[in-house]
Amino acid sequence: MDKSLSKEPMLEMFIFENLQLLEQLEQTILAHEKERCLENAVINEIFRIMHTIKGSAAMMMYDSISSLAHAIEDLFFYIREFHPDEMDYSKICDIVLDGIDFIKNEIGKLEEDQEADGDSSPFVENIEQYLLLIKEASANSNLINEAAARPAGLQKKFYISTSKSPPTENIKRYHALIYFTPGCEMENIRAFNLVHKLKDQADQIDYLPADIIENNDSVEFIRENGFAVIFTTHLQQEAINELFMKEAFIDSLDLRVMEDEEWEIEQLRARNQIILEEEPSVSNNEVREIGANLHSGSTRQSLISVNVDKLDRLMDMVGELVISETMVAFNPDLMTATKLENFHKATRQHRKIINEMQDLVMSIRMVPLSMTFRKMNRVVRDMSKKLKKNVEMVIIGEETEVDKNIIEHLSDPIMHLIRNAIDHGIESPEKRASLGKSPAARVYLEAKNEGGDVYIIIRDDGAGLNKDKILERARARGLMQKPDSNLSDGEIYSTILLPGFSTCEEISEFSGRGVGMDVVHKNIEEVGGAVLVDSTPGQGTTITMKIPLTLAIINGMRVKVGNSIYILPITSIKESFKAKPDNIIVDPDGNEMLMVRGECYPVLRLHQKFRIESALKEIAEGIIVIVQNDSGSICLLVDALLGEQQVVVKALPKFIGKIAGISACTLLADGRACLIIDVANLIILAKVK
Amino acid sequence: MKSVLIVDDAMFMRYTLRKILEKNGFMVVGEAENGLLGVQKYGELLPDIVTMDITMPELNGIGAVQLIKQINPRAKIVMISAMGQEQLVREAILAGASNFLVKPFSEERFIEVLNSI
Amino acid sequence: MSEILDEAVLQEEDTQKGKFLTFLVGKEEYGIEIKYVTEIIGGIQAITEIPDVPEYVKGIINLRGKIIPVMDVNLRFNKEARDYNDRTCIIVIDIDELSVGLIVDNVAEVISIADADIVPPPDVRSGFHNRYIKGIGKIGSEVKLILDCQRLLSTEELENLDYIN
Repeated sequence: MDKSLSKEPMLEMFIFENLQLLEQLEQTILAHEKERCLENAVINEIFRIMHTIKGSAAMMMYDSISSLAHAIEDLFFYIREFHPDEMDYSKICDIVLDGIDFIKNEIGKLEEDQEADGDSSPFVENIEQYLLLIKEASANSNLINEAAARPAGLQKKFYISTSKSPPTENIKRYHALIYFTPGCEMENIRAFNLVHKLKDQADQIDYLPADIIENNDSVEFIRENGFAVIFTTHLQQEAINELFMKEAFIDSLDLRVMEDEEWEIEQLRARNQIILEEEPSVSNNEVREIGANLHSGSTRQSLISVNVDKLDRLMDMVGELVISETMVAFNPDLMTATKLENFHKATRQHRKIINEMQDLVMSIRMVPLSMTFRKMNRVVRDMSKKLKKNVEMVIIGEETEVDKNIIEHLSDPIMHLIRNAIDHGIESPEKRASLGKSPAARVYLEAKNEGGDVYIIIRDDGAGLNKDKILERARARGLMQKPDSNLSDGEIYSTILLPGFSTCEEISEFSGRGVGMDVVHKNIEEVGGAVLVDSTPGQGTTITMKIPLTLAIINGMRVKVGNSIYILPITSIKESFKAKPDNIIVDPDGNEMLMVRGECYPVLRLHQKFRIESALKEIAEGIIVIVQNDSGSICLLVDALLGEQQVVVKALPKFIGKIAGISACTLLADGRACLIIDVANLIILAKVK
Repeated sequence: MKSVLIVDDAMFMRYTLRKILEKNGFMVVGEAENGLLGVQKYGELLPDIVTMDITMPELNGIGAVQLIKQINPRAKIVMISAMGQEQLVREAILAGASNFLVKPFSEERFIEVLNSI
Repeated sequence: MSEILDEAVLQEEDTQKGKFLTFLVGKEEYGIEIKYVTEIIGGIQAITEIPDVPEYVKGIINLRGKIIPVMDVNLRFNKEARDYNDRTCIIVIDIDELSVGLIVDNVAEVISIADADIVPPPDVRSGFHNRYIKGIGKIGSEVKLILDCQRLLSTEELENLDYIN
């Protein structure tokens, strides 16, 4: 919509809707590719989606997108109308998928505030050529059918006028020459519309060019020479003038009364005199049927899309509501009151409603994994095609829901793991055959709920991991210090998650490059999850990602450090106790450590770490909290434990940036802001030290 | 103030049309994402003008025009079409559409058509 | 002409043009463009300190559920720390979707200064070295130092220094 409207929200809408449509289209294509045939419903769907994208892109002046969408639309229009026999389904799917990729990529640029400057003309040419090819192929094999199918619908709706009575006294004959506003498009149909409207008021209508209906190229003639209409009517000239000028897009009108002789000449010039005949294209029966559908159609579920920011805000507000409820229920003014039975009853009810509300808001943020999972169909398709491996993906539990913020972190790791599985795990069909395995390999992508966590499992029936090779590589890169005998299989396999580890000798297009697995690990750890690797040689590899349901609320332990309060995530706390002076060790560098059941842990005094004044002098005076994660355990020294609390996690303001040892912040019941400790970060810092 | 019902399966188009209409003093009384819902909403809202997409699921714009014309033979409907849809636009006119636009169109064109019917 | 959504904003900007909120930091009187100011909080509420940040970043506060950082303007200008009292205020400013609270000694008033009465700050060579001043506004015989909010909030220094160790 050129420059006349504010682009931002429109662009947002354009991006959102079209990405959704493309996603839907991709799934449809992938689902039907194997069947090697496209049902009418599918063809229609592709046609319609491309049509919508074409229209929206044209409005936004993204010509490369709209012309590509137009070309695909044309292709499917032909397929829909003529059902050509000679079609290479795999080729057609490739065409559409390539088109989807191009448009997605262009939209991606728009999302990043860049110009959609890609050139779609090679795609368009390719599609046009292919369309020509199937047209020729079916013309050869099916010449008669096609010829019959094409013009059938057109001609029977018109007949050539035969009666040409001369005008009588108060009926006059007019000649009108009309030019349409330049750029209004489809001038022939505009002319048709004029004629159609004139029909109520006038008779014996003839016009030039005469082929406005059959020939869309007649627009050129109209643009050059104008559209001429001759008709008889009892209306006065002003009335007719008004009738025409009321129409939109009429640039100029030349209207005059015609003399009889003149009429004869004109009549000769207009070779085809055509009068319209009413003929609705949908029969009355059909209309009635549709009318019946109308009522059943109204029961469908109604959905709206909501900006995630609004959900975040709603979440925040519910969090505040919880806090303010506490402030009301435990208001100091109530201390002086004597009889509070009814008040307590009311606040209990209040609290219950707030809790339900909190659950509801949480559930709104939950989205099923299905979209993320189904995206992987494409990955599997492209890779197996390219690597000439026969791979089938089995999706289990795609309806499992995860918080919106977490899902964003899952797509890349899952994609990477699936690529790895197909690239490195799964053997070539020949090798599989020689091993007595089914030539069609399988990759399972599974999600399930267990406790408060979601498990995402990627399992293949390929060759499995080579333990010796992993060990060798890990030692060569200095990633493994322990002696072999102390290593469990799990520990060995898990080293593939470490940065700088890659078992693939050559760098393939799809995976490898030495990064990858550690990125998987990092991404999952970022959302508070964990990755487990298991493998059986010759039978396959299973990678399990354990992910929390939500990031937005955590169970926290309030700890006192000096006069400040911090939140420690409960999930990372192993145990807490008062240390005995005997168990405290100080090494020559002054590093403090604590012996717990024969194991030695470094001690981190939180007040020192965060530079807070504290009365604590001896470790034994405070409380030791052992925190742990995948990479180890350390002891944190705090002044006191204040109790557990569910807290709503809020990001630190951008202005502050990333602070070592702090992951986020939250609000306490008294309304004060409070920092949440980043345990993983503290453990890493302690190790580096 | 003239009331308008927008029938279009593309959310983007509904949004764009609504913005233009509201900016130019029209009142958008409803939106529908397919022809069936469009007809249904027409019956409920009886707007002065309908903007009607052609290619839509459930029931296309032409079918919707026919049904709306059954509800109100004087209904004013503007078709929103795209290049290549000449035949369909013609059918829509036969079914009773008042006028049409071809995407991409400018704000001025759109308003001109609405004011002309 | 993206009127539809910007109209309101433009109008608002129009009425705010040339208006400044003035406040005291030490003896000097400063002004900031009113369009940046979203709120003035009287008195100092509980500020949660944050480790490993420059001294002038005093911490974070809870502003009706929104967590915003607060900075001491006095310390930002590398002046000596001053105690807070009941006249101390937090001016909340909003720039490029970044909300920050500025701790100042006293909020004075809202005044209009015509563009013509604002002159660029003197050269560094003449001994003036407050890089956060983008102009000097004259009202009669009085002088207000107009703050460059963008620069005040720029975190280059935060990023450049390694506060982690």
